[in-house]
Amino acid sequence: MKRILTTLAWLAVALLGAGALGAIAIHRGEPLNAMWFVIAALCCYLVAFRLYSAFVAAKVLALDDTRATPAERHDDGRDFVPTNKWVLFGHHFAAIAGPGPLVGPTLAAQFGYLPGTLWLIAGAAFGGCVQDFVILFCSIRRDGKSLGQMAREEVSKRGGIIAQLAVLAIVIILLGVIALVVVNALKASPWATFTISMTLPIALLLGVYLRFLRPGKVVEASIIGLTLVLFVVVAGRWVAESPSWSHVFTLGGVSLAIAIIVYGFIASVLPVWLLLAPRDYLIAFIKAGAIFSLAAGILFVRPDVLMPPLTRFIDGTGPVFAGKIFPFCFITIACGAVSGFHSLISSGTTPKMILRESQARFIGYGAMLLESFVGVMAMVAACAMTPGVYFAINSPAGIVGSTPDAVAAMTTSWGYPLSGQTMVDMAHAVGEQTLLNRTGGAPSLAVGMAQIFSSTIGGGRLLGIWYHFAIMFEALFVLTVLDAGTRVGRFMIHEMGGRIWKPLARTNWLPAVLLCSALIVGAWGYFLYQGVIDPLGGINSLWPLFGIANQLLAAVALVVATTILMKMGCLRWIWVTVIPMVALIIITLTSSYQKILSPNPRIGFLSNTKALAAQIASGAIPAAKVTETRRLMFNLRLDAVVTSVLVVMIVLLILEALVQWYGILSRRSEAVLHESPYIATRWAKDFAGAGHGVAVGDAIGDD
Amino acid sequence: MRKAAKRTKRLLRRFWRGLREWCGDAAYETYLRSNASRVSSCRTLTQAEFYVDQLNRRYSRPNRCC
Repeated sequence: MKRILTTLAWLAVALLGAGALGAIAIHRGEPLNAMWFVIAALCCYLVAFRLYSAFVAAKVLALDDTRATPAERHDDGRDFVPTNKWVLFGHHFAAIAGPGPLVGPTLAAQFGYLPGTLWLIAGAAFGGCVQDFVILFCSIRRDGKSLGQMAREEVSKRGGIIAQLAVLAIVIILLGVIALVVVNALKASPWATFTISMTLPIALLLGVYLRFLRPGKVVEASIIGLTLVLFVVVAGRWVAESPSWSHVFTLGGVSLAIAIIVYGFIASVLPVWLLLAPRDYLIAFIKAGAIFSLAAGILFVRPDVLMPPLTRFIDGTGPVFAGKIFPFCFITIACGAVSGFHSLISSGTTPKMILRESQARFIGYGAMLLESFVGVMAMVAACAMTPGVYFAINSPAGIVGSTPDAVAAMTTSWGYPLSGQTMVDMAHAVGEQTLLNRTGGAPSLAVGMAQIFSSTIGGGRLLGIWYHFAIMFEALFVLTVLDAGTRVGRFMIHEMGGRIWKPLARTNWLPAVLLCSALIVGAWGYFLYQGVIDPLGGINSLWPLFGIANQLLAAVALVVATTILMKMGCLRWIWVTVIPMVALIIITLTSSYQKILSPNPRIGFLSNTKALAAQIASGAIPAAKVTETRRLMFNLRLDAVVTSVLVVMIVLLILEALVQWYGILSRRSEAVLHESPYIATRWAKDFAGAGHGVAVGDAIGDD
Repeated sequence: MRKAAKRTKRLLRRFWRGLREWCGDAAYETYLRSNASRVSSCRTLTQAEFYVDQLNRRYSRPNRCC
């Protein structure tokens, strides 16, 4: 009886999800309420987790709870720490959730809400979650080895080197692009710039507090930090309203870029406890609070989604970024559906802390579902705005102009009516000088979040505070990834450089630290500067490059996962990783081809270079701007080279893997798995049943 | 009523413990409980030493995503 009731309940959830998805897909005319998105996403996630992840866990991976995990075998209280599954879920989610699932869907909203929402849900359920889950499983079975190490052992030595290079490439491009998002959010905004600059002394203060006064008392320090951060968000208004102080904190794109580059270098060189870690503690609670509040706000306000399901820009002529739905919607959404970077976390800290194999399903698959839900929330927040406002904020001046009337005339001509006064009033309401041409997604998301938050608490009077709270949240979020990523990139250069010149591998030798920090900061700083001086706002060129790099890394992870499954003899179910892998390879290669060779100058790097050269030759570009244009042409060629290198890497890795797969399938070579030997767990009995008698299991409160 | 209060108290205690573990506040206690500090011949680190050592380890590998 219970079984029948359970089946009926799941059937109801599935039907509700299908109905809500159907409503989103076929609804036309009146605006759709955001609740449909929430219901569709939640029901699909529940069904995917209950059925598909259970199938992968049982049939494909055959998770074994009798096997001791690395956390049990090597329990050292430092890297290998047996951790309660809910706490580890929180850790894993905090590590994988970056600004990508917020910014990507906001940018992809230019196609309308439908393509992005469908890809966020389906891409996560069948691609992103599977990748995170399978890689986590593979790493658990290999003592927590990294993706690069697994690629080297299971695919080939060259495969390992390719994976390592791909990771470095994605780190550099990622850091450059997310730094650009911050620059575009803070540009000409004294309130936001003041708030973010003040988080630096707050972080230093917390660093000293946690190091010398109350070592390791993170909760106390976080409460102090959070109070101070909220105070500076409010105080930012006074700064913005004071003519003299406002002038000090009103910075242009290039000045902000230089400030962020200097910050990245300092954060990489200074001891971790002084700046990097306390900043991370600052954002941890704000991140959890802001994401939870956004979801709660959407449920409470239930806004109408004003963006149409499909906009006219599905033809590839979008002002936010150029290119058709396929492949650019997938490349743009990136992290919200599938993120290669997650494989680094799934093969990094998490496998060393997991208690038993079966929890990999909840943590690996479940955390990615939650990240996808964050993406859906961001999509709703962006699409709840009037389409005209959305395009006015996200379009570069080179396309829509820079005065309110010019921008309004252009968006109205596209069929999205807007008056110039609306943009002036809105900027005034949120305490900004202008909201026009704020490419990068962060300001439009902040406007969307502020509208939802102010409808819940405070009304229009608090719109400015909520807007700057959202900007502070996004910028802090990004800067945390930026400084932590710079340091990780520095360590990678230490490791690679050490192979050429040994002293370079010493991570505590000051000359090596300075050199490696300068190299990594210089690399991403160049991409940032390139984006800042780009007349099309930089996002048009750089976000797709980031998406390609990210999806390429996901393809690398799935190639490694497929090879391991093949060696395990899982041929019958190999499609679980092969289908997303093939999809990602097709998406990555198609978008790379278009970004390099498309004859449309707005899409293709090389055709854009040619078009600019022709303009210089015809004298269409004023003499004063020729040098700048030549620099832009150089940057476009550089982007084409970087994209080509990424393509060569994925093709080489596929060839390496194909040789390996042919050998296994034709039985010419032996399928040697590099798993750690089986050791029976001491906790198996208790974890299989309902007992809590075991010391460690009980101490960590595992259920 | 008393049962409900007891249950709420237990839930809150669990939540607090989970929160401290999640944000790293309880990391030193976990370290002291671990096999390494109990069995290892190495000197047990002080809280300040452990804090710096743990941060250096955490921030030398990918720990934040895009």
